[in-house]
Amino acid sequence: MKTAAGVVIVAVLLFPLYWMVNASLQPSGALLRPDPAFFPVGGTLDGYRKALATQGPNLVSSVVVALGTVLVSLVVAAPASYALAQLKVRGGPVLVFVLLIVQMIPGIVMANALYTVFSNLGLIDNYLGLVLADSTATIPFAVLLLRAFMISVPKELTEASRVDGAGYWRTFFSIILPVSRNALVTAGLFAFLFAWADFLFAVTLTTGQSFEPITVGIYRFVGNQSADWNGIMATAVLAAIPAAVLLVVAQRYVVAGLTSGAVKD
Amino acid sequence: MTLAAPVLPVPRRTGRRPRCGTRFAAWAFLLPAVAYVVVFFGYPLAANVVMSTQDYTVKSFYTGEAPFVGLANYAAVLTDPLFSTAALNTVLFTAGSLVFQFVIGLALAVFFTGRFLGSALLRSLLLLPWLLPLVVSGAVWRWMFDQDHGVLNAALRLAGLGAVPWLSSTGWALPAVILTNIWIGIPFNLVILHGGLRAIPASLHEAAALDGAGAWQRFRYVTWPLLRPVSGIVLMLGLVYTIKVFDVIMVVTGGGPANATQTLTTWSYRLSFQDFTFGRGAAVGNVLILVATGFGLLYLRSAKATLAEAAT
Amino acid sequence: MSVARRALFLAASAALLAACSPSPAPQTPDAPAATSVTELDYYADEQGSAAWQKILDACAAQTGIKIERQTVPTAQMLPKILQGASSKTLPGLLFTDNPTLQQVAATGALTPLSDYGISADGYYPSIVKAGTYQGKIYGVAPGVNGLALIYNKDLLTAAGVQPPSTWDDLKAAAAKLTKDGKYGLAFSAIPSEEGTWQFLPFFWSNGAELSQLDSPQSTQALRYVTDLVTSGSASKSVVTWNQNDVADQFVAGNAAMMINGSWNLARLDEQASLHYGVVPIPVPKAGAKPVVALGGEVGAVPVTSGPTQQAAGKVLSCVLAEPIMLQWSKAHAYIPSKTAVAARFGAEQPAMQAFVDEVGSARSRTAELGEKYPKVSQALADAIQASLTGKQPADQALKTAQQAAGS
Repeated sequence: MKTAAGVVIVAVLLFPLYWMVNASLQPSGALLRPDPAFFPVGGTLDGYRKALATQGPNLVSSVVVALGTVLVSLVVAAPASYALAQLKVRGGPVLVFVLLIVQMIPGIVMANALYTVFSNLGLIDNYLGLVLADSTATIPFAVLLLRAFMISVPKELTEASRVDGAGYWRTFFSIILPVSRNALVTAGLFAFLFAWADFLFAVTLTTGQSFEPITVGIYRFVGNQSADWNGIMATAVLAAIPAAVLLVVAQRYVVAGLTSGAVKD
Repeated sequence: MTLAAPVLPVPRRTGRRPRCGTRFAAWAFLLPAVAYVVVFFGYPLAANVVMSTQDYTVKSFYTGEAPFVGLANYAAVLTDPLFSTAALNTVLFTAGSLVFQFVIGLALAVFFTGRFLGSALLRSLLLLPWLLPLVVSGAVWRWMFDQDHGVLNAALRLAGLGAVPWLSSTGWALPAVILTNIWIGIPFNLVILHGGLRAIPASLHEAAALDGAGAWQRFRYVTWPLLRPVSGIVLMLGLVYTIKVFDVIMVVTGGGPANATQTLTTWSYRLSFQDFTFGRGAAVGNVLILVATGFGLLYLRSAKATLAEAAT
Repeated sequence: MSVARRALFLAASAALLAACSPSPAPQTPDAPAATSVTELDYYADEQGSAAWQKILDACAAQTGIKIERQTVPTAQMLPKILQGASSKTLPGLLFTDNPTLQQVAATGALTPLSDYGISADGYYPSIVKAGTYQGKIYGVAPGVNGLALIYNKDLLTAAGVQPPSTWDDLKAAAAKLTKDGKYGLAFSAIPSEEGTWQFLPFFWSNGAELSQLDSPQSTQALRYVTDLVTSGSASKSVVTWNQNDVADQFVAGNAAMMINGSWNLARLDEQASLHYGVVPIPVPKAGAKPVVALGGEVGAVPVTSGPTQQAAGKVLSCVLAEPIMLQWSKAHAYIPSKTAVAARFGAEQPAMQAFVDEVGSARSRTAELGEKYPKVSQALADAIQASLTGKQPADQALKTAQQAAGS
């Protein structure tokens, strides 16, 4: 019963996505006709052919950049969140505040500044450069998110381990991280999505000479003077597939029950 | 500060930890993040503040020279007739987006707690709106909003209501853009709130149910209070991200028609990249940062309270 | 925070800021000639990109200089230029929209093209003016384009309407063609340069000037266009359509006529069932000449290093040579910017003749206003939107625009 309701909800919410798939199977601009076809009967696979022919490497680049961003973000953010949430730190609230504020810096300002710095350091057209740049969007978010979760980790867990003689690192690795798996997966998921969908840093820090993430590659179909919607939508659909697959896989890792068995009532 | 070798903290049965060891460990955990923030955000933020006090033009990019004008940019921006329009639009856009994104996201998160056939798959599918490049989602929504041939108006006509000039009228353009932004923002709220709901032990719900509490009462007295830290962060971050929204508005309406969807962020971009008065664009950007700072302080005060509660 | 840590952070910030200052361009007085040159353009779409690549390949072969090409989406062109300017990493060769040239030249980042033996002889005066800053020529375009009235032959014949040549004709034709859910006319009126560009033919043909936005001629032009929308001959959605969208609408059969540029012809040719015709944009009174704005990208040589600049100059000279100019114009549906070449081109391609005629009387947008053009353009676009959406009557909207443009 709930499944049926769920399907209806998803269908309504994802209708624009269906429209996109519909557009990807019809000639460019077909959806603008007076009676747009709801079903792409007699459609065309031209867009997909074009997209597959040209965008394959770009998909791989995007995956590499996104996974790199997840790695860097979690490695930097998780320990910081632990400290902010569980350990009494004098500058703690100040850092939280700063992390909130730096996210307000307009993207174009960040892009311009990073371009200047990176071009001096030779990090243009460089996977590491783009990962570091994308992480500026994900690390503050990850820290704040993880902190919100880690605050609710019961003190009994950490005290139990400290009473057993474990140092802070042991506590962090053996207790906090496993218990926060929910939150880590969530933060990692968002880091992936941020990096995957990023356009501004991608277009600023690459010149098209080496690699090109998919968000930039899609503009091959958007010219100054024409837009091949068929190709654009097909590319978007193709781009959504690997990310969607990763999403489904990651959701499976969320284990229900935060404290089952860890603390004896 | 003495640089003696760090003392390995001796665990005490009373649970009170020695200060020095804790502080050192805490800063060791924090160091990568702090260093990252200083290195990557310090320069852009400082540059933006400096630029807002200068008469920065295209020439300044090349020559590096920009005459100092003090607060003249801020004065010009605040007295510009477009400022009140943009500010009002920003408030409406942000409030409208946040309220609905949060409520719908929460409703969906509650709906998807507890396992049923296909729940994981359906929930993952709901994240797809966020995966799409904005040039794509924006274009799709623009077609859907098209006054003459868009799907939305077709549906409205079928239902017997009149067609709505979504994007071509100054009254409807802002709701249209808010609607698009809500659609894009639901996954964010859904995932985080769902994670937060998952973190509430089932035992508490069971206990409340045993005590005779109905579903709404369980939500109000068990779920909602425990969800507060997560709700707080979702709303705070949602605020920051919504104020910053740029691509969605630019792709769907470009700030028009007639500035009906011009927010402070899009106006900042226009001042910089269409009028080439970068100092003024930076000034508007800093005004936004100040606004976010105000809300950030509010959030911190409530978060401090939550932290204090958790510590007891 | 302890004193030691505070000092460490300050030192790190200082080091970062020191690293952030751009390094000066390398000075190589006696370096050998450069063998490769970086190039930047915004022909990102498949068709345009392929056509431009052929041009670059031809010139690379001819000059023996390797061309490293970078393409960005249109909206990213200016940020890229600015980033390049501030980090002193501008490309060797730059192709940018002609109204932007004034801004870039004003920064001092471009070199005069006379340094490379490129002269302005034989070009349309308007394109020369567009690329001239303070008396020196910094950019020349291999091809230019303009706007015309493109109409659907079948729809016009069915309604018994002749392609209009004056404003009154246009109004009547559009009204007659608006039926069965189709609109008579489609054009773009978005709040940006594109909207202004589409309005300028009406504006200039009626005798208005950009220096005086609220003149009677200007008000008349705006009232005319507004009337087309309020009377229903053009969709209210024109305030949301860019030129790509307008073309989409025309191809989908939602509009019988459209105001659009020559670059669409390749796409229109692909639609076998669509029979189109091209006439110059209608003028206020019979016999007058339409005055459209000049479009097209100019090639410029930024300041890099001596050898690189010389190499870039060679490549640019090759691009501007007649055979290449002709090749580019044919491939991308532009008009050659040399008058003699354009005349030959028009003779070979009758479909483009209307455009060729217009280019003769076209005007460059930045000719009078130079760097001040973007602000005026934005003010005018806002006025157009205010008038078309009914927010303000035309004359008031233009008064507001004149005030905004002047400040």
